[in-house]
Amino acid sequence: MTNQTLNHTILQILETELVSLLINKDEKGFEYLYTNYSAALYGVISRMVVDQDIADELLQDAFLKIYHKIDSFDADKGKLFTWMLNLTRNLAIDKLRSKEMSQRRKSDNVGDSVYKLDRKSTPSQEDGIGVRELLDQLDASQKQVMELVYFGGFTQAEAAEELKLPLGTVKTRVRSALINLRKTLDIR
Amino acid sequence: MNIEAYISSGILEQYAMGELSGSEKAEVEQLCNSHAEINAELALITYTMDTLAMKTAVQPDEALKEQIKAKLNLNKPETTEKRMPLEQPSRPFSYAVAASISVALLASGLAFYFYSQWQTAENQLEKLVAQNQEVADDYQFVNQRLKNLETDVEILGNPNYARVAMNGTENSPESLATVYWNASTQAVYLKIQNLQKLSEEEQYQLWAIVDGVPVDMGVFDHGSNLLKMKSTASAAAFAVTIEPRGGSQNPSLETMQVVGTTKV
Repeated sequence: MTNQTLNHTILQILETELVSLLINKDEKGFEYLYTNYSAALYGVISRMVVDQDIADELLQDAFLKIYHKIDSFDADKGKLFTWMLNLTRNLAIDKLRSKEMSQRRKSDNVGDSVYKLDRKSTPSQEDGIGVRELLDQLDASQKQVMELVYFGGFTQAEAAEELKLPLGTVKTRVRSALINLRKTLDIR
Repeated sequence: MNIEAYISSGILEQYAMGELSGSEKAEVEQLCNSHAEINAELALITYTMDTLAMKTAVQPDEALKEQIKAKLNLNKPETTEKRMPLEQPSRPFSYAVAASISVALLASGLAFYFYSQWQTAENQLEKLVAQNQEVADDYQFVNQRLKNLETDVEILGNPNYARVAMNGTENSPESLATVYWNASTQAVYLKIQNLQKLSEEEQYQLWAIVDGVPVDMGVFDHGSNLLKMKSTASAAAFAVTIEPRGGSQNPSLETMQVVGTTKV
């Protein structure tokens, strides 16, 4: 237990360090951020918007926003990566809702786009895992909501409408799916 | 409030995905502050989502990094160099800062690395400990059964034990049970071959008929093991009746299930 607390403290100190580098607009902060997190953010974006040019543009926007809005990151409310991830998802969701994209947004297409990047997943990341491989461990109903909600960029309310299910059902399915995935991801 | 129900409603997942309105968000944050359990669950949810993103990463094009750096005005080291010469005295200091930052970053990297290694090792250890416990429990269980069976076999095969078959009475012609009785040690064991199931309020009772009088040999429930009963030096017959749980002083003969005599 003390070890865990200690490690947690170390991680917090390191994150504070990183955030202050970013606030001071130090290039090293950006380098660290990009090296460690760009692929994760890019994966999220690419599955949501599919088109590579748009995905590239969104990753740029995300890093610009992270870099310029770092002052508004509140370490009391969560981890830096969580903040970056939400910021990035929101940018991508806004893009999907924009006029130029909205006609493409059909749940029929989501399935393909969610999985098509599996082959492209970064080879440098040895512990990486394909989305299909992950979702195949869920039962069909959980898999369906996760395709839309987590990977496809639908809000839970939108997914409920799309699948003609009560919102409460979608919520509990998302919850069960995430709990099941913890086992696969070795999270306690 | 019911914390379990709140957590299992899935609202924390919605919060983590940034789907709640301002007031709903504030409520979740307030509950996180007042309930450690909710706070811990939310941390677990965001950690799961973060890990999902890390594990399903897709490498962007190399060129993209330079484009982003250009937009952030980060890749023009020459221009800063040119402006710097007049400020010579401050440079050793900035080298020191740069060096310490590099060290800090290197240490961060290493710490992240070791932390994840340590986490993995701890996870594996915990799994192994749990597995080990499971195997030990199984072993304990099997070992106990084996011991019981060994005792059973010893008694069944011992020539000093007389085998008294008790056949079903009119009440229950299908019933069958056997008494193993060692007259010299007075030990009595019972094996149930077939007796009907009883209600919770009832129990079987074994009787020895000694000099024409039924003597209590103990009560028992349905089971597959050889049962150790009370001892008796002599008996002309053994019988089993159904009695109220705990047994009776005198047998309810009308409920007799099986009976067998010791001498042919």
